[in-house]
This record gives sequence, C-alpha cells and structure tokens, in this order.
Amino acid sequence: MDARLHQMRNIGISAHIDSGKTTLTERILYYCKKIHRMHEVKGKEGGGATMDYMELERERGITISSATTNVSWNHHSINIIDTPGHVDFTIEVERSLRVLDGAILVLCSVGGVQSQTLTVDKQLKRYKVPILAFINKLDRVGANPFKVKDQIVDKLGRRAALMQIPIGLEDNFLGVVDLISLKAIYFDGQNGELVREAEIPDELRAEARHYREELLDAVSLTSDELAEALLENKASPELIRQAIRQATIRREFTPVFIGSAYRNKGVQPLLDGVVDYLPDPSEVENIALDLDRQQQPVVLQADPALLCVAYAFKLEEGPYGQLTYVRIYQGALKKGDELFNTRSRQKFKVGRLVRMHADHMEDITEAMAGDIIALFGVDFASGDTICSPGLNYSLTSIYVPEPVISLAIEPVDKISSDRLSRALSRFTKEDPTFRTYLDPESRQTIIQGMGELHLDVYLERMKREYKVEVTTGQPQVAYREAITSRADFDYIHKKQTGGAGQFARVSGYLEPFEGSYEFVNEVKSGHIPREFIPSCDKGFQASLKKGQLMGSPIIGVRVVLSDGQFHPVDSSDLAFQLAAQGAFRQAYKKARPQLLEPVMKVVVETPSEYSGSVFASLNQRRGIIVSSIETGLYSTIEAEVPLSEMFGYSTILRSMTQGKAEFTMEFLKYARVPQNLAEELMEKHRQKIEEEKK
Amino acid sequence: MVKKNLSSKSPVKLLEKSITGGLGPGNLGVFASRKGVGKTACLVQIALNRLFEGQGVIHVSYASRVDYIIAWYEEMFKNLASSESLQQAMDIHDEIIRRRVIMNFRQEGMKTEQVLKGLEALLVQGNFPARTIIIDGFNFYLPAAADVRLFKQFALDRQLEFWFSCSLRGDDPLFDERGIPLVLKDYLGSFDIIFTLENERDRIRVNLVKDHDRLSLKKLNIELDPQTLLLAKA
Repeated sequence: MDARLHQMRNIGISAHIDSGKTTLTERILYYCKKIHRMHEVKGKEGGGATMDYMELERERGITISSATTNVSWNHHSINIIDTPGHVDFTIEVERSLRVLDGAILVLCSVGGVQSQTLTVDKQLKRYKVPILAFINKLDRVGANPFKVKDQIVDKLGRRAALMQIPIGLEDNFLGVVDLISLKAIYFDGQNGELVREAEIPDELRAEARHYREELLDAVSLTSDELAEALLENKASPELIRQAIRQATIRREFTPVFIGSAYRNKGVQPLLDGVVDYLPDPSEVENIALDLDRQQQPVVLQADPALLCVAYAFKLEEGPYGQLTYVRIYQGALKKGDELFNTRSRQKFKVGRLVRMHADHMEDITEAMAGDIIALFGVDFASGDTICSPGLNYSLTSIYVPEPVISLAIEPVDKISSDRLSRALSRFTKEDPTFRTYLDPESRQTIIQGMGELHLDVYLERMKREYKVEVTTGQPQVAYREAITSRADFDYIHKKQTGGAGQFARVSGYLEPFEGSYEFVNEVKSGHIPREFIPSCDKGFQASLKKGQLMGSPIIGVRVVLSDGQFHPVDSSDLAFQLAAQGAFRQAYKKARPQLLEPVMKVVVETPSEYSGSVFASLNQRRGIIVSSIETGLYSTIEAEVPLSEMFGYSTILRSMTQGKAEFTMEFLKYARVPQNLAEELMEKHRQKIEEEKK
Repeated sequence: MVKKNLSSKSPVKLLEKSITGGLGPGNLGVFASRKGVGKTACLVQIALNRLFEGQGVIHVSYASRVDYIIAWYEEMFKNLASSESLQQAMDIHDEIIRRRVIMNFRQEGMKTEQVLKGLEALLVQGNFPARTIIIDGFNFYLPAAADVRLFKQFALDRQLEFWFSCSLRGDDPLFDERGIPLVLKDYLGSFDIIFTLENERDRIRVNLVKDHDRLSLKKLNIELDPQTLLLAKA
C-alpha cells in the first residue's frame, strides 16, 4: 500500500492566458495515455500505428472539463486538478489550491513573467505549493528561455535554475540537453512520442557545462550533502536528483524545464520531473481542526490504516447526476463504508465511487489517503469534511462570516428565471459565504457575499455555466445599528376594544453588549409568569431585525428584564411580545444608537514604484494604513478600509499600476460610521421610505 | 482632553526636557544599548507621545515582524493608560493608531535609498502627515556613514525628526571615556542626540551622551521601570 502512496502525485497546472496551458495539458494526457496504450498494443501484434494517428487527432479535441483527471506516467498515478481561471481570493480558489501537492507553472518563452504570472505565483506561494517551472513555446520567434529563467529569479524571487538547455531555438528548436545526465534528448516520431537520447552536439558542450554548474551551485546551497559530494567530485546523478527533490519540496528551489508543447517537445522530461521532484501525498503536511477539542489543529497522516478523513472540494453537475470530488487525506474509503459529514452531522453510506480519466470514468471499490476520486449520490456542499465515525475533524474553519454586501438581481426572461434558481441553489451549496433570498418588499432576488469581486465571480458563472442573463442593481453595503449607552424601559401594552383584552407590562433596561444579543431574566416573585418570559425574549429579538436609524439589523444589545405586571385574563403570549417590542422602541432612541459599517482588511501587493499611488488611493477611501512590508521589488500594504469605499477599486488599482498590482479583501469588523456620513445615509433612507409611501 | 493630559504627563516629557529644546525637526536621535535592555520600549514611548499630540508617526523596522511591533505598541499603550487611569482608553487607542504606519523592510541588504523612497511614497504621494520617523534595527556595524548622511539629509529636506535604535554588541568596552558608544563614533556628525541605556544593579538608567553640540556624559534622573519598561523619574 505504501508503495502506491509514493507513486501518487496531485498536481495543478498554473499559467497566465496564452502561455499554452491547454496545449500542454492535452499533450500530457496524450503521452500518458500513449504509454498506457503502447503496453496494450504490443500484445496485439502491433498494427496500431495508423489508428494511433487518428486517436491523436481525436485527443487533440480534448479540453479538460472535469475537476480532476487521472493519468499514469512511469508507474505513477498523477491527478491533474483544474485550477480556476479567475484569480480572485475566493473560497473556490482556496479549495482547489489546498488539494494540490505540487504544481507546474507554465511561462511563455517570449512573454516571460507577466502580471498574471505574478498573481498565480503569489497564490502558489500563499498556499505553500512546491512547483516546477515550464518555459513553453521555444519554437516561437523571439524565444529566450535564459531571459525567462532570470525573470523567475528576479521578478518571482525564486531560487531557480535551468534543468535543460535548448538545442536550437525558434524554427530550429530540435530538442533539449539534460543537464544532469548530460545527454541530448530528441523527440521523434509523428507526434514526438519517441524519446531518443544522444550525445550532446559539440557546439553546445561548453554551454551545457556552464549551465550545469549554475544548476549545481543553486541546488548545493540547499544541500550540505550535495555540496560536500561536489567538492569531492562524487556527485552522482541520483544524489543530484535527490537534492533537487528535497529542495523543491521544501520550496527552496524551483527546477526550470523547457520545451514546446505545440511542437511535441519537452513534455516527457517534464512529466519525469513531476515524478522525480514534486512531492507525494505523504511528503506534504496537512492539518485538520478537531471540532471536539476547540478546533485544535491535528496533523493528518497519509496512512491508509488510520481512520478516514477526506475533503469534498468540488461539486459537478454531470450527465449522471451530481458528482462530488473528494480528496482523501488520511485512511481509506471503501464502497459500502459508513462515514460522517462533520458539517451537516449526517451519516451516509459510500455508494458509487469513480476515478476520472481523460476520456472515461473508472468505477473503483476503494481509494486511499492521497487519492482524489469522485462520489455519486451523496448530498454534500463543497468544503465539507468527511470522517470515519469516531473522528470529528474539519479541514476548514467552520466559522462562516456574515455577508457584507448585497445585490438585487433580476433574470431577463422566463428561461433565465428557471435556470437562475438552479444556479443559486448550487452556488449556495458550494460556498457558505454566498447567500440568497427573496426580498418580500421589492420581490427581487437578492444575492449576498463577501465583496464586490466575490459576487462578480458568481454573476460570471451564472452566465458561463447556466446561461443565465440577469440585470443587477447597485451593490448595497450591509449596515448595522448598535446602541452606545444604557437606557431604561417601562412599558405597558393595553388593549380593550371589545372581545378579549390584551395586557402586559415589562420594565428593565438595554445596554451595549460585546456579542450579538443577550437576554437576561431578572424578574422576581412571579411578576411575569414564567411561561411569558420566552414571549418577551421573542418580542425583543423581533425588534432587532430593523433598527430605527436606517432599518438595519441591530447588533450588540443585552436586554435585562427586571420587572413587569400581568393580568390573569388579558395577558397572553402575544401581549408580552408586543409589550417587549414597545419597550424596545421606547428605550432604543434613549440608548443613543449609532450606525455601523463593515470595515475590510485590504491587502494590496504592488511593485514598489506604485506604492505612493496605492497609499494615496487608500487614504482617499477613508482607509487606515496599518503597515507596509517592503521586499525591494514589491510592497505589501495592509489597510483597514470601509467596504462602501471599495466599490470599483479593482479597476482603479489596475489602471493606476498598469495591472501590476492586486489586492485581496476580507471582512474585518463593524465600525462606527462617521457622523456626517451617517446623517447622509439616514437622510437617503428617509427619502427612500417617503418615495415608497407615495 | 484626556489625550492632552496623557501627553503632558507622559514620562517622555522628562526625557525631552533633559535635552536642550528637544530633538527638533531635521535632526537625528539615537538610543544605544546592548540587546534586550529597552531601546524599542523607548522608541515606542516617543512614538506614542507624538501620536497623543495628534501627529503622525512612521515606524520603520528592519527585522521584526509587523505583528510583533504592533504588540509592542499595544503593550506600552496599556501600561501608559493604566498608570494614567485613562478612561476612554479604547476610543483614544482607535483614534491614534490611524496616524501610525509600520513599514517593514525585510530583505537583507535593503538599500537606504529604497527605504527613503518608501518613506517618500507614503509621506508625499500618500499624503501621510508624519513628523516623526522611528528607525528600529538599523545595523550600525556595517560601514554606513553614507547611509546615515542620507537619513540626515532627508530629515533636513522634509523637516522630520528621526529616532534610531542602535544595538551594541561584542566585548567590552563598548563605550569610550565620554560614554559614547564606540560604534557610533563614525556617525557623531550626523546624530544630534545620543542616549545610552545602562543596566545598573537591576535598574535601567538613561544617560545623555550627546546633546546637540555638547558631548558630555550626563547621568539623567530617569530610568526604565523594570516591570512596565515605562520611562520614569529615578
């Protein structure tokens, strides 16, 4: 079993647009399949050559649409995980990056490091993903892999070195020289499927020696063992590869491969690199939170013999129903096992279990730690953690922040309207920070989320995946109201107009409170009968839904009920609820309520030359600059900015920095709206209400 | 009001009274001692006092992480606020931190030109109203006379005051007969004020060894409270 674990790789392919990610992925699928097929074909007395060509043509049409694709290379099982195209900091990106153990960063040999490469690279660093770099398109005019390698060092700040040098460039690009084995590698056959080793062309010998030195220098900085062996002239290729592997996994070194996927050159050595240098699942530390022990972190062991811990990272609507993609981190998962979803707290039985290949789905009966597979017939949300009974872990924090922004959307026609509800139910399942409801007043569908970009991503996905066209309103910030001082209440609710009367009296006080709401009952000697105390609580809670300043929800209130009065006939549940609401209305104004707005933690990463403009832009937005970390080329600026000021910031930041800066934003806290702005907002609210009355 | 009170009662005032006319714009001051004696505590108290006065402060750190520096400010603020029985502490806290920015220059071998460029970006383009710059963790053991001159020129051009910390290391003696740290001898021309911190029988005494044009060892009647690291009358 263990041997299988060491033969597993879970990788992603990251790139900027136009660097040839799709072509490279197709080639990888083709060559991996090819190997598989060649084994089969041999037994059938050959005769597959012409068919292979047709197969290839068909293969070329493949684009990976599934979340993961499993391929085999050199007795290793490689799961290629689709990383989302958009680069915003959302839960979706987080999920796909967390299931990767390693990645290939694809660069164009002409364009080199571009702004989107920086973005992708930063994401990979943020999630501590070990990578290989692949400089693609060496057949293009102006190709210069040496320059691009230097950019990887200078602009991405990675310790990197070429693993190969090119034999010829542009139209004359023929193959590569492997700097470890010091052999030339050519890619023969119709589709480059025949890898041929040969001696290095004489004119490249000196250059090969030079770049080999550079490679060994870079790697030996990370390995004392290799440094010593080099001094004694005893560095075997195995030792070098081992040192590169260790340094790559520790993210101290980035091996750089080169080639042209389009011309079928350099892909197989890259696959060898994936096997040789990227980690297997046991070499990556994964941490879960133990929900039974105050979310204490637990290190998971990629050992199939232990209890199972797995993570549902993606849902996919397929022709056969909902597929749930699952990465297993610990233990094993078998058909028929009874497992436990720690979010929904429901037990379920593992039904159909499949592994996804490029062109087919393979039914399997079990899978083990490190594997990525898909489940049929389970009702999960993505981000759910699945455990064997007895464990109660979560791979993500179960804290889900309240949405801070809302947007009214309206489908343009009936068809869109039907699809919209399907899209919304799917998105809310996938992302707990994305919510939706129907506004009873305006009859509009409201979507809520963690920021403008967050909602944009979902609008885009509605269009792309569900073909839903919607019109949208202005984004609305979710304001809150809170009291700032203690205020007493003493309220009698009385009604005696025919029929049964209503009577209830409540007295006590409101005061500011750290949490959201607390109800304290201090009523003595039965002045309010016990059965009506929950009625009072209910009445107060109902009052919190809409404050008197702007109709926003009220937070941070403790209600202390200290006394009251009842009538043996006329008092009722309803009477006490209404009394509580009246009392709250009475006391709220006296408690000096104020308006709160969501404040976001904004982190901008920008080339240092633009840091001045970024400071200025944050200042203009009522931002507080907390810190700025300078690394020479880049500045990471952290600020606290009210959400209402952040609308459209991505566009402004992009134009200010020629697209070279980017920012992430997450909810930090609710803070007081400055007085003059609060008055403006309340005035607008008053006007809106008056208009609605008319 | 409370803020004003806090500012005028601040023990930093004691320190400033001891030097002729304070540090003043365009000038450089430094606290020198061995590691762990209390230089950062002094710098943070100076910064807090400026913040109480309503000014902006940029705290430049070469080594420490941002959260570590923030923790220093929180700690010193808490100590100050408690000794002043400050009531609206939180409100004041929230207000003053708006005027503090921490800049962290991480990379080894960061050039002073780059640091000044970063400061300029924040001060000029960012329109950040700081008059006091704290420089913590600058390495005076490298030949850095040219760098210190750049800081001095920047301070003059922009009418800023700079407060440095200087960490002393190596074998004794660290000071010359006038109490001047040996490592600072190369920089005497650029620094207007030099304080040293001295560990004396479990107490940390503050000495003034350069006061603008005057070079002379003056043992001040000021010490750091060993518990709170607040400056206080000895």
